[in-house]
Amino acid sequence: MMEEVDRILIHALRQVGTEVDEDVDSIRQFTSELLVEGVVRCIRVIDPGLGGGLAPSLPPGMSARFRVGMSLAQACQDVGYKGEIGYQTFLYSSEPEIRSLLMFLVEKLPRESAEASAQPSGKSAVLQRAIAAAIRAQLDLAWVPPNCSLPLHCETQSGGVLNSFYTQPLSSPHCTKGSEENLKEVKEYRRDVLPPVTAQFSSSASMVASLLEQHAAELSAAQEWDGEWKSQGLLSRLTPQEYRSRKLARLQKRIQEQLRSAAQPSSESAFGVSRPASDLMDVLQSFRASAPTEHVLKKGTHFTHTQKFTFTQEAAAAAAVTPILSAQESSGDVQLRQQEELSALQAQFQQLCSDVDHLAADMRRTAVTHAQVLDELKQRELGNTEKEEKLQVKKKTIDLLPEADNNVIQLQSLVEASAKRVVNLASQWEKRRAPLIDEHRRLKEICSRQDLDSSRKLSEIKSLHEKIHVSTEEAKKKEETYKQLLTELESLPQDASRSAYTQRILEIVSNIKKQKEEITKILSDTRELQKEINSLTGKLDRTFAVTDELVFKDAKKDESVRKSYKYLAALHENCNQLIQTIEDTGTILREIRDLEEQIETENGNKTVANLERILDDFKAIRQENAALAAKVKEG
Amino acid sequence: NMEVLDRLPEPDCVKLCHRLVDGLCGREPPCRGEYGATWSLQEWAGLRDSLTALFCRAVGSNSADEEVLAELQKLCSRHAHAVLNVLRSRRREVRLALLSRTDCMSSAALQDFDWSLKLALSSDKISSLNTPLLSLSLDVRENGALRPVAVEMSKEELSALISSLEAANKVMLQMK
Repeated sequence: MMEEVDRILIHALRQVGTEVDEDVDSIRQFTSELLVEGVVRCIRVIDPGLGGGLAPSLPPGMSARFRVGMSLAQACQDVGYKGEIGYQTFLYSSEPEIRSLLMFLVEKLPRESAEASAQPSGKSAVLQRAIAAAIRAQLDLAWVPPNCSLPLHCETQSGGVLNSFYTQPLSSPHCTKGSEENLKEVKEYRRDVLPPVTAQFSSSASMVASLLEQHAAELSAAQEWDGEWKSQGLLSRLTPQEYRSRKLARLQKRIQEQLRSAAQPSSESAFGVSRPASDLMDVLQSFRASAPTEHVLKKGTHFTHTQKFTFTQEAAAAAAVTPILSAQESSGDVQLRQQEELSALQAQFQQLCSDVDHLAADMRRTAVTHAQVLDELKQRELGNTEKEEKLQVKKKTIDLLPEADNNVIQLQSLVEASAKRVVNLASQWEKRRAPLIDEHRRLKEICSRQDLDSSRKLSEIKSLHEKIHVSTEEAKKKEETYKQLLTELESLPQDASRSAYTQRILEIVSNIKKQKEEITKILSDTRELQKEINSLTGKLDRTFAVTDELVFKDAKKDESVRKSYKYLAALHENCNQLIQTIEDTGTILREIRDLEEQIETENGNKTVANLERILDDFKAIRQENAALAAKVKEG
Repeated sequence: NMEVLDRLPEPDCVKLCHRLVDGLCGREPPCRGEYGATWSLQEWAGLRDSLTALFCRAVGSNSADEEVLAELQKLCSRHAHAVLNVLRSRRREVRLALLSRTDCMSSAALQDFDWSLKLALSSDKISSLNTPLLSLSLDVRENGALRPVAVEMSKEELSALISSLEAANKVMLQMK
């Protein structure tokens, strides 16, 4: 028990900064010096203002020592120690006193370790602490010019060549796949010409970056393909090559559609082509230079044609008018004529416009009629062919008419024969059909079963993929937590584990409980004994009283009985005395034990040794005083 | 103007062709100084351009070896087979390079990017900030010229950027 307490106290003192030797493992071994140092350090931690004025070591002079003891005792009382304390506690120490004092001081110590463990733990906290530590270390180093820097400084103070991340494409044989792998020229090229990857760069700075980039690109491409294959490729039930080629075809088709749909609107509205559309047209033209795009693009609508036509006509008219206009130069009539002409021209223009409208309407009408006529024509033609067929049937009937009876019979027999044949064929067909249908059904069933099977397997594969994914993720996460916990564990203080203490405390508590139980048992035993004793005494008294009475009655008549009465009285007396003596012995034994205990405690206080030491110290003080007096006299 | 190729011995010719393809694929192209003694500046430029164009054309239109050989034999009879071999061995790389060129067929294309994560420990006003910052630098090729773009983003801005990029990727996937 006490060893445990001592160990905790010594550990706490070490943490405060007291230099306790390794072989000191109990309070009994503490010297005055060690005690003073420990107490001073504890007080400094508890109350820095109070502890600042205390020296952690004992001075050589005896009176100075005495003063130090006094001030220390005062400081302990200021901190709040309630027990008995004085200079003697430090100079002439007794074990229990020291223990109680140290226990009080250690209790008073601020809970540094508790605070440390209460700090936010976790990844970010660990990282931030690491960063703080690294920065502190860097700040502790003195700056030196780069020229005279030691390897020590390289890490933190090198002005370093930091390369920016520039990549170059590179060629390496491993990454190629496909049919050309086995081409003779490719092999030769790789063997003879292709430089190693490290020699492919103009500057060595971009090598690592390029390699990383290449690797990342390949990795992400592989991952993307993997994901797509797992999600869609497997469901399509194709081989990878087939899937790829199908996808390629689909993409190409899509691109073509996009281009076509982008090209269409511009050809529809050829009159008002906007600028970007015409750009796209250029691109398209360059794409299919040989194709007759001209035709497609310039095929305008009806409206554009009419418009063009009108404008060209007008321009021609204007060209015809201008020479006449310029020939005559009389200024008076010019305006009038111009106006006239203008109005004439406007009228003409309007006339022409209305003409155009009329014509357009006419065209539309004629187009409609044209379509109607075409329809009619088709219907007529259909009617004609029908009528022709009818005509032929009738012609044949007419041919057959002359020998009507004969022909009828022949026809009937023919009809019967063909009917029979039809029935025959039908029965045959039925015969054939039944097994075929069965076969068909069977095959269908097999097919559906296989379908089911394969879809089930597909879903299984999918779920397996998912499971793999999830478990890898989990494994990664767990690994990370493990690492983090490991770092945290390393950062935790190694000594004096909390759990050990709590366990110890629990043990002690259970011990105490057991002891308490035993004590109560003993107490109840004692009580029972007391009861028994009491009842026995009562019984004895009563028995004695009865016997006494009986014997006393007979004693008056008989001499021998009187004698026996005397003996009885004597016996009673003696027994009483005996009991008294036994009780006295018990009290004395108890007293003896008490005294022995007292002696023990007095011995524990090392009174004799302390007295001797006090005498020595007293002598030393006297000597010092004498020396001082001599000095004063000399002075 | 490819007849001037005949002035080189065959091994040198093969090497030149390979280095031209290297240049086409984005690595270091051959420089004129090495061939200064063999050709004049004009000849060099012409030869370089026409050979590169030949490679591009042959791979781009996926023409058969015989066609290319016929074309080559018209121009430079001596090394036709050597050049064809170079073409055959590098067909895949040239194709990839041409594809990536086609990918960048817009006014601005992302050439390269780099990022670095920084942790702001404190600022002039707050003693403990602990804010992560991402600095993203993009190299954008804009009309042929490389333009660096540097952005610094906080966590929220970065997640906004990432979500918009994911949306763009989704659209891309739908196109497929």
